[in-house]
Amino acid sequence: MSAVDRALAPPRGPLRPFRFPPVHRRRLANGVNLLVAEMHSFPVVTVDVVFDAGGLTENREHAGVAAITTALLESGAGEMDADEIAERVDGLGISLDSGVSWDTGQSGFTCLRARLEPAFGVLADILRRPTFPEREVERARDERMATIQQRRGTPSTLADEAESRWVFAPGSSFGRPLGGLLRTVAEVSRDAVAAFHAARYRPAGATLVAAGDVTADEVQALAERWFGDWEGAPDPVAPADVRPRLDRTTIIVVDRPGSVQSEIRVGHVGIERAAPDYFAVSVLNAILGGTFSSRMNLNLRERLGYTYGASSSFASRRQPGLFTMSTAVQTEVTAHSVSEMLREMRELQHEPVTGAELDDARNFLAGVFPLGLQTTDGVASKLSTIVTYGLPDDYYDGYRDGLLSVTAAEVQEAARRRLWPDRAAVVIVGDAEKIRGELEALDVGPVQVVGAEEMEA
Amino acid sequence: MQIPIERYELDNGLKVVLSEDHSTPVVALNIWYDVGSRNELPGKTGLAHLFEHMMFQGTVHVPGTNHIAHVERVGGSLNASTYLDRTNYYDTVPSDRLELVLWLESDRLGFFLPALTQEKLDLQRDVVKNERRQRVDNQPYGDWDERLQALLYPPDHPYHHPVIGSMADLDAASLDDVADFFRTYYAPDNGVLTLCGDFDPDEARRLIERWFGPIPRGPGVPPIPGRPVLEPFKLGREVRETRGGVPLPRVYLAWRVPAYGTRDYYVGDVASELLAGGKSARLYRSLVRERRMARGIAAFLLPVVTGASSLIARGNVPDGEDPAVLERAMRDEVARLASGDITAAEVERAVTGIEARHLFDLQKVNERADQISQLTTFFDDPGLINTELDHYRAITADDVRTFAAEYLTDDNLVVLTYIADGQEAGS
Repeated sequence: MSAVDRALAPPRGPLRPFRFPPVHRRRLANGVNLLVAEMHSFPVVTVDVVFDAGGLTENREHAGVAAITTALLESGAGEMDADEIAERVDGLGISLDSGVSWDTGQSGFTCLRARLEPAFGVLADILRRPTFPEREVERARDERMATIQQRRGTPSTLADEAESRWVFAPGSSFGRPLGGLLRTVAEVSRDAVAAFHAARYRPAGATLVAAGDVTADEVQALAERWFGDWEGAPDPVAPADVRPRLDRTTIIVVDRPGSVQSEIRVGHVGIERAAPDYFAVSVLNAILGGTFSSRMNLNLRERLGYTYGASSSFASRRQPGLFTMSTAVQTEVTAHSVSEMLREMRELQHEPVTGAELDDARNFLAGVFPLGLQTTDGVASKLSTIVTYGLPDDYYDGYRDGLLSVTAAEVQEAARRRLWPDRAAVVIVGDAEKIRGELEALDVGPVQVVGAEEMEA
Repeated sequence: MQIPIERYELDNGLKVVLSEDHSTPVVALNIWYDVGSRNELPGKTGLAHLFEHMMFQGTVHVPGTNHIAHVERVGGSLNASTYLDRTNYYDTVPSDRLELVLWLESDRLGFFLPALTQEKLDLQRDVVKNERRQRVDNQPYGDWDERLQALLYPPDHPYHHPVIGSMADLDAASLDDVADFFRTYYAPDNGVLTLCGDFDPDEARRLIERWFGPIPRGPGVPPIPGRPVLEPFKLGREVRETRGGVPLPRVYLAWRVPAYGTRDYYVGDVASELLAGGKSARLYRSLVRERRMARGIAAFLLPVVTGASSLIARGNVPDGEDPAVLERAMRDEVARLASGDITAAEVERAVTGIEARHLFDLQKVNERADQISQLTTFFDDPGLINTELDHYRAITADDVRTFAAEYLTDDNLVVLTYIADGQEAGS
């Protein structure tokens, strides 16, 4: 059929250089930092303002207040009520997005370049002058509670919630979901929201990141105009308790009778984003469960046919976050899947990865990096990462080289230090009656059966 | 903002579209084959999607799952998806690896059959059955689209059955079924190949000819089975179904509307934007914010082309409340579209939102390539990527009123209600 030699992969074409756009840093007199990356191929701009207003800064009795505050910023500001804000935002075609992580609260937008000035005006209003009407607070609280109930009624998100709960020490903020519990959200009053906003959404130490069809000078002028006369600083925050809850591997079955699959999570305390072995851990994760060709996925999906997919991730925060391996398998193969996941962890500790595996993982991570930088919001989120974790401004210039220089010995060292097969929380959402016996027979650790109501404990 | 477009055809009928953009050193390859679940015969539901899985199981020159390994190891991302009308396969790689993905994708099209084995089929059957368990059977509301399709379209319509198929049909799929499916639908003259991103067009033409040029034409594609044309177009009555086993109640409303590409489809898109596009949209403002009868709201049209599309509205019911109350309120809001208080400013806002999101989405080369493939497959007009939005700018409040009065009516409506455990089904 063809004269071309199909037996071998064709050679690569001419290499094209790639670099992260230059990062411009400025600072306003009131302590607001500016980080700007210019991208001029589309007439689009993303702006995000990052505050020290994450889940860790909330009072435990009001857990969920950080998330509810970001949800309420558009509910009234200055002279405008919620409907007037919505009409302005939609009329300008702005995509407005506020959100919260454990480390930050942030609010921002993506807009067409031509609408940057009015978009800045809307953002300044909702960040500086939110009114938090009582009715809107009630609505946001009700919606948050509905979301919590919904997540607990869905096997995958119930498994995620239970995993955090059994990984971190009792009382640790990281052990509860970022959006709070039903009983804590119920306590979030208008006063609590207003107080949280007044304490945490302050300009000193906040950072405005901008990426897209705009210059650093333009951003500085707009920031001066809309945020330059804002004053105040947030208080320092106590760190989370990141001690583990378990001293040995334990299986927790969250009973969901009638399930045709088991949602499995195997995990423990992970690493902080600024950890010195972050690159080695990234390569380790790619090999374990970070790609389609990873060991976990090729084994559980492509060799055994147990699942639609299996993956692993290190959710890194300012402090050590969560390491999790995840999959959903048909009920009958639950126990075998768990033992395979624990085996994969141990194997990476006992044997160095092959040269080919190492090359593939390094090249994958270095190669996909530019894919996330095609959009203004993709670049803006990288700028936010620099800000949140205190990384140097030129961090992403050396990012690919950092990944490419990881060695097999470093991967094995990371596996030994960062994987804990003997202290893992194995959470399974499934039909306890069908799977309990075989999980006990695995003999990897004690097996307890709980109900979803345990999440409120 | 003009997206550059070059369209041509190979001698074997493969349509090719090139769209250059050198801003990031990546290239997206995207192939649409004009086959989806609509082409499946009775008793063989899920075959198009199961087949898509088989395309990752190896070819004569790229054994096993090496296709994926090759793309991942050079720092690319890839996947495929199957829908009602089409199946797409796509790879995004650093631009120096363009020839690699042309080799891989052409081997799937030209050298798939000899590598097909029963063992591979049995394994992927297990994987797909687990995909169905994960997305549908073990997932609250997971069967919403399956149920709406069954209720919106008659049994002899190609959209009546779900893309993922039934467990029984997946169990029954044979090696012959898979091989026949490939021979029938996987041919260059049934495909569109789009390249978008950082490449030299002359070089790309040469490489595409090298890898795809020698693959022969197919035998021609049979007509879509069943009766794609709906006569009469509207349902003619209200159809209801109630299901349980979910954490919180939920209401879906769905109407049959004209297919993607018709002028009315774009009007319907604006109508759905007026209902639930942003926080100034009617359903959100009235039911979520003011009256707090819904905990969340959404409305959208499906961009499908076989006989009819559907406009779907979803409302999340507060814990313990009667879904019939939210259903009534949603229907009243939709009825108000036809009664005539839509303002020009409201339509302007909706179109502004649609336009802005379109541009935000097009920043990614893979998204651009997928849209170009879609417009070429459905309308043989990739240039629509630059002009499709003109349809929206011409739409008036009157157009939306007329559309709502014609299609969003009680005699053209499916109501699917999910009730929470322990709730009574309402009337």
